[in-house]
Amino acid sequence: MNASIILETHHLSKQFGGLVAVNDISLHFERGALHSIIGPNGAGKTTFFNLLTGKYRPTSGTVIYKGEDITRQPVFQRARRGIGRSFQITNIFPNLTVLENVRLSAQALSSINFRFFRTALSYDQYIRRAYEILELVGLNDSALLPANALPHGGKRKLELAILLAADPELLLLDEPTAGMASEQVPELIQTINALRQASQGAKTIIMVEHNMNVVMNISDRITVMHLGSVLAEGTPAEIAANKTVQSVYLGELYGDYGRGQSA
Amino acid sequence: MKERAIPWVFLLILVSLIAFPFIVALLTGSSPLGVARGDRMIMRGESVRWQAVLIEIFLLGILAMSYNLIFGFTGVISFGHALFFGMGGYTIGLLLEFTDLDTTSALIFGLIGGLALAALLGLIIGLVSLRLQGVYFAIFTLAVAEMFFIFFGRLQLTRAEDGFAITDLPVWLDPTQSRLTFYYIVLAVFVLTFVFIRRLVNSPTGAVFKAIRENEDRASAIGYNPLTYKLIAITIGGVFAALAGILQVILNKKVGPELLSVTYTVDPLLMTIIGGIGTFTGPVIGASGLHLLDTALREQIVTIGSTTIRVADSWSLLLGLIFIAVVLIFPQGIVGTWMRWRARRVRLSSPPKGAENPVQADH
Repeated sequence: MNASIILETHHLSKQFGGLVAVNDISLHFERGALHSIIGPNGAGKTTFFNLLTGKYRPTSGTVIYKGEDITRQPVFQRARRGIGRSFQITNIFPNLTVLENVRLSAQALSSINFRFFRTALSYDQYIRRAYEILELVGLNDSALLPANALPHGGKRKLELAILLAADPELLLLDEPTAGMASEQVPELIQTINALRQASQGAKTIIMVEHNMNVVMNISDRITVMHLGSVLAEGTPAEIAANKTVQSVYLGELYGDYGRGQSA
Repeated sequence: MKERAIPWVFLLILVSLIAFPFIVALLTGSSPLGVARGDRMIMRGESVRWQAVLIEIFLLGILAMSYNLIFGFTGVISFGHALFFGMGGYTIGLLLEFTDLDTTSALIFGLIGGLALAALLGLIIGLVSLRLQGVYFAIFTLAVAEMFFIFFGRLQLTRAEDGFAITDLPVWLDPTQSRLTFYYIVLAVFVLTFVFIRRLVNSPTGAVFKAIRENEDRASAIGYNPLTYKLIAITIGGVFAALAGILQVILNKKVGPELLSVTYTVDPLLMTIIGGIGTFTGPVIGASGLHLLDTALREQIVTIGSTTIRVADSWSLLLGLIFIAVVLIFPQGIVGTWMRWRARRVRLSSPPKGAENPVQADH
């Protein structure tokens, strides 16, 4: 096992009936890197992503996390091992307060979950942690509002805060700019960069993203998927210069470049 | 942030409930102990009559609170709640009437055994079926409960659908002789249930219950196993339902398959919805309201023109109408709607950030 590799897939495939959504993908993801997965609609990005989070079981192939086979592990077990994910469509606890949303995430990996008679509010460390994260994403003023009272941009921030509060080693971001107004995108890039700087290479990010601006700006490596398979992999410069990629993908996407916001 | 103290309103209500038999006795000139006849007490007079009404409210309240833990706080819809209620009742009844145990042992083992059986049933049903989602789980639990209902309705050992009477109660526990004692026992269990469920829901475990209710996918994505927490909720809810069933059997001194009938699932469900799903006081308010209405109206005979209606005959119809009215007027239940209305007022009357005014009140 190579210690610089945090996650790898071996011949990973997923079939839905007759449709092969992900076809024999073998990839490795380097520790500390920001690795983006791009591809036109229907390329199988989201399916591949869900194989990493554990939402889907692959038809064949394996997922190895830190040298351990996690192919059969359910979502919550992967989360407990340090794999956190964000959702493309905002996925929060709508009727709980913003603070409680984040505190639950901070509490998740501890052993206090099974203490029936302590008041949840008495766990100061998780509340402090939640406030730290809320400050980081700029939501501390709204901490005691119900989460569904936040405006859309606020909900996206909360989504990120829930992810960060669990302090995952590996962050899986599912189209983090989806549905975002274009003026909010730089703020998100800034948050991601700040996070990576603060972690000093301890955090790995795998991101599925449509917004080429974001992808080209912040990725260390990019994998291009097409029709369920890997078309190309490399640094942003290599991908931008790749003729095959340009023909099947970039051309098509640059055609509606600036669309960015739609999922 | 400190744990919120028990609101003074709750203490005031508790004191009133403790004093209640004596207040009624004073107001009506009756005795809280009933009327002495020879060496026996006869349960006659307004005070003991009202004690019976309140005992039933407490029992229904315990049942509704236990249902609310599963349905209101964890978001699991179960249609099999009567199973726990009935099996608690059957366990203590069988031990009292069909074994050679002396009364005290039968009561102790009946209590422990009834609660343990409920916990076991909760675990088994949960493990077998909680992978089913939403309505499929509800149907499964309904089927299991109905199966037990039919089984005990035909089991000759327990006199099938007639059921059997409890004859072996000690005088101090017998509600037909020492109702005041039984009143305080049930009141104590009721208060304990309320406090237990409130603490549980406010604990870290309870926080996860609510998270699963709100968004199961997200809860598992941050590392909680929804199955584990649903199992905990169903098991604990089942144990409290069994406790209510045990007390019900002692109150009526009778065990029969009706304890397992769907009534004891639907009633707590309606009481929870009417009072307020996922609130602490809602199920109790729902239980009180419905039972008081039942008591007040059941004996009434209404004459409209030439039609005479005995309310008792059309109680279900009336209940249905009340339910429709409440759901239309209070879409979040009585307590839920009131809390929402208050939260909105707080938000409107405070600075827009609202940071000093927690919106989630403790009811």
